[in-house]
Amino acid sequence: MYFLELVISGIAVGSLYALIAMGFVLIYKGTGVINFAQGEAIMVAAFIAYYLVGFGVPFWLAVPLTLVASALLGALTERLVIRPMLGEPVFSVVMVTIGLSIFLRSMAGIVFGHHNYVFPSPFPVEPLHVGGIVLSHNHLWSMIISFLLMLLFFFFFKFARLGLGMRATANDQDTATLMGINIKKVYALTWGISFVVAGLAGVGLANVMVLNVGLAFVAISAFPAVILGGLESIPGAIIGGLAIGILENLAGGYLDQIVGGGVKDVTPFAVLFLVLMIRPYGLFGTKEVERV
Amino acid sequence: MPIRSKTFCESYHEDIKLLDTIWSKCWMVLFILGLLILPYITDTYIVYMVNLSCIAVVASVGLNILTGFTGQISLGHAAFLAIGAYTAALLGEGLGMPFWITLPAGGLVSAAAGILVGIPCLRLKGLYLAMATMSFGVMVEYVLITWRGLTGGERGMYMPEVNVLGHVLDTDESMYYFLLCITALMIIVAKNIIRTRVGRAFIAVRDRDIAAEVMGVNLTGYKVTAFALSSFYAGVAGGMYAYVMGHIHPEHFTLMSSIEYLAMIVIGGLGSILGSIFGAIFIVAAPEGIKLLAQGLESLIPAMQGRYDEEWNIAVFGLLIMLFLIFEPGGLNAIWQRIKVGFKNWPFTY
Amino acid sequence: MRNKGRLAGITALVCMVFFLSAGLALASGRGVTDDSVELGFVLVKTGPVAALGIPQGNAMIDYMKYINEKGGINGRKIKVLWEDDGFHAPKAVAAVKKLITRDKVLTVMTTGGTNQTIANMKNIKRYKIVNIPNAMSLEFFDPLNPYIFALGALYEWQYQVIVDYINDDLKMKDKRIGVVYTKKEYGKKGLDSVKKRAAKYNIPVVAELVLPTGAVDASSQVLALQKAGANIVITCDVLPPIISFLKTAEKYNYWPKVFGFNWATDDLLVKACGPAAKNYIGAGFVGSWTDDTPGIKLVREIAKKYNRKPKLSSLYIGGIGVSMLFAEGIKRAGKDLTPDTLKDALETFRDFDTGGIFPLVTYTSKSHAPAKKVKLFKADVEKKCLVPLTGWRSPKDL
Repeated sequence: MYFLELVISGIAVGSLYALIAMGFVLIYKGTGVINFAQGEAIMVAAFIAYYLVGFGVPFWLAVPLTLVASALLGALTERLVIRPMLGEPVFSVVMVTIGLSIFLRSMAGIVFGHHNYVFPSPFPVEPLHVGGIVLSHNHLWSMIISFLLMLLFFFFFKFARLGLGMRATANDQDTATLMGINIKKVYALTWGISFVVAGLAGVGLANVMVLNVGLAFVAISAFPAVILGGLESIPGAIIGGLAIGILENLAGGYLDQIVGGGVKDVTPFAVLFLVLMIRPYGLFGTKEVERV
Repeated sequence: MPIRSKTFCESYHEDIKLLDTIWSKCWMVLFILGLLILPYITDTYIVYMVNLSCIAVVASVGLNILTGFTGQISLGHAAFLAIGAYTAALLGEGLGMPFWITLPAGGLVSAAAGILVGIPCLRLKGLYLAMATMSFGVMVEYVLITWRGLTGGERGMYMPEVNVLGHVLDTDESMYYFLLCITALMIIVAKNIIRTRVGRAFIAVRDRDIAAEVMGVNLTGYKVTAFALSSFYAGVAGGMYAYVMGHIHPEHFTLMSSIEYLAMIVIGGLGSILGSIFGAIFIVAAPEGIKLLAQGLESLIPAMQGRYDEEWNIAVFGLLIMLFLIFEPGGLNAIWQRIKVGFKNWPFTY
Repeated sequence: MRNKGRLAGITALVCMVFFLSAGLALASGRGVTDDSVELGFVLVKTGPVAALGIPQGNAMIDYMKYINEKGGINGRKIKVLWEDDGFHAPKAVAAVKKLITRDKVLTVMTTGGTNQTIANMKNIKRYKIVNIPNAMSLEFFDPLNPYIFALGALYEWQYQVIVDYINDDLKMKDKRIGVVYTKKEYGKKGLDSVKKRAAKYNIPVVAELVLPTGAVDASSQVLALQKAGANIVITCDVLPPIISFLKTAEKYNYWPKVFGFNWATDDLLVKACGPAAKNYIGAGFVGSWTDDTPGIKLVREIAKKYNRKPKLSSLYIGGIGVSMLFAEGIKRAGKDLTPDTLKDALETFRDFDTGGIFPLVTYTSKSHAPAKKVKLFKADVEKKCLVPLTGWRSPKDL
């Protein structure tokens, strides 16, 4: 019973991790870069949603508006920060995203303030009781949304022209350009879509956590989920996210008492390390083929 | 008589010389003199900042050996610093050993840890390797804060002062000279490693590892060596850090610190020792410099009085990192080389 | 190669010779002129925990501004510099160094939290920094540290009072305590104090769980507490994770009596949690924002004057209190103002009345320890604030 409760709440948290991981994977799939500023994108979206709701905009309208704002932010970031780095080594681009994350975090502090805000949750506080297990509404919704998104992206990348274009660009930029794919459009769309996913994650997290500038650091906890599933795999991101959520909660529930506390946060990383020893490209990542 | 228009090398030794012309030798001597008289012309705070920079320089040189020269991205560098710092603290405070045992010991224990991490990570590439090293860093942080018996846990550990031949170095100025010696030594060793066979092997591993193996470069051996070497540097830097701060705690060695060290080498210039030095000084000094600039502006422009917010510093810092990389992805080192070449070739443009 | 070796050798030799260089002598009368006193303090202003430092920092600046408008102290105007440390110990050390060596302040009024203060111990000793830090651990006051003065009841005492209350006043059958703490020095202190005291009363501590300050989710902690059957939860962490905890507990329909220490005892908790906070009892030593004592009235007046609406009002009140203590110390030190005379002046405080902000303050040359006085507050959900539950209490002698 206890075990099941831990697993269910693990799935709930895991679906949020999955959303965050999806954002990372999208950008990696489309542009070959890990975006260290993803956490800040999530936080900014959460704040935008908070202020919209604060101004009296009803929740069901605030969320799409937030997503639109996130998409714009993503496109803007791509245009100003990433576009000039086209063709540079991956590492430099990653470092630019790190600089961006520092910048966004302090700007968010200036614009939104440093205090702790509580997001007015639209869901009823009373959780659902399903067969003795307690499940809160917003966790349920994040799970549903994650699964829907996974299906959507799966088909998008497999069949849609733009999706295939994104995969081609990530694989080999030069060849993709030669084949007539408009790289600039692909980049802009990739970042826009990824920031939209981040926006959803932000709204989900804001419902669950106290809202402050520190929300951005949750993305770091989602790194194991990203790598576990493999950097190019959307289903991998979902499975990785859920796995990490469940693992965390199980470790927290059982091991915390024995080993002295704090194991909950280190377990995902320890597991990640072990998995990487066995499968160097994550569970579902594609092996990089090297030519000499 | 034909006039030489460029410097030609006629032997292997000439080719890898560090200071090849009489000018570079002169500049080096002047630079060293400048460093020696620094404490007499600036105030204690600047000396303290330079002390911190020395630590950062040693750490970033180590990281550059691993990441810049051998191409193995490591997001766990701060963990190796932590291991070195705690080893030095345990030996220095717990057993009362002098610095010339604690610092190398810290380096060696860290190097051993580096080998322990390097061997399992041989198969990993790129961002996966970065994540594996990051996980290692998180695990080390956890162990440090939980194993209270060994490390003092949340309390942290205290560190005694450096004791050189009976003199206790208890001022920033005396520590400055001490740190300067160690830093100079470590830089010279690194430069020497890089310009010889081992360094070339590292670069081969980074650029075309499969081809390198085919040509007889032992991939496993050199990757592990790179890890060990970089961790040794980190360990020594950690020991230096412990001596300067007097107190260490796991929160001084977090993931954010690892990212900072990475930023140092990327902004300074991957694959260049001079770049690591530039990058380290930049990351340590830039926040202070921005603050000074902002406070100076505030007193000059009345409109900004009282509106100065600390957060702007950090925002500008992040912005600087971004701008640097967008406009000069080769980092500070590339800018420096361009300036040098510009001077050398003046008035010609190339 | 040989040239390089020789060069390195000469450099090393020259450097060795300079090892004996003397440090700069400390200027006496640091930070003090005939018409001004320069003070500094280090407190978090940016980053994720900025909310915990901004109200106090604003308060300390506001109070000194208020004093300046009344003519200063002994004919000197007070200038205050606030250095940020981002709640990060190395930055705190650098900030203290800057304030002392570059800005040459008389003293650094507070070095921030426990970790920052521990990291700064060397500096406090070397530069004689008279300091009232936000760190209430026994080791700062026993053995006596000449320069550190206490802010309020030590964490050990707060938790002892809490456990005393649980034993004596809480009407509950079969008490089982669960402890939720953070892996910081004050969190660990709390855990140890609770365990020790509960052992004396034979109340079992059935669960000890870590809740990091930036936790995403407290589900596993809540579930583990429920499983262990804890009907009393004592928390040892600052405010934001406690808010997360209470809201998560509400979700799982888990309603233990929740206790917290002074940094978590603030009206914001009730405002943010709503009905989830109905079982919260907090220990504190700072007056309430709505009190009618002269000190609190002054606090409200100053806040209105400088247009402050602090979210964490208890921190604002505490900040005014700290500034008040320093202002009084500076006044008592008189014309000859140095770190040592300031220290001596503070040691003359006997039952100094801050007008209801803190309990009566006494510092002697033998002890800078705080008053062993703690008040318990409980949450009033309708009024959206905390109301006093008990009067001033001290831990019982067991």
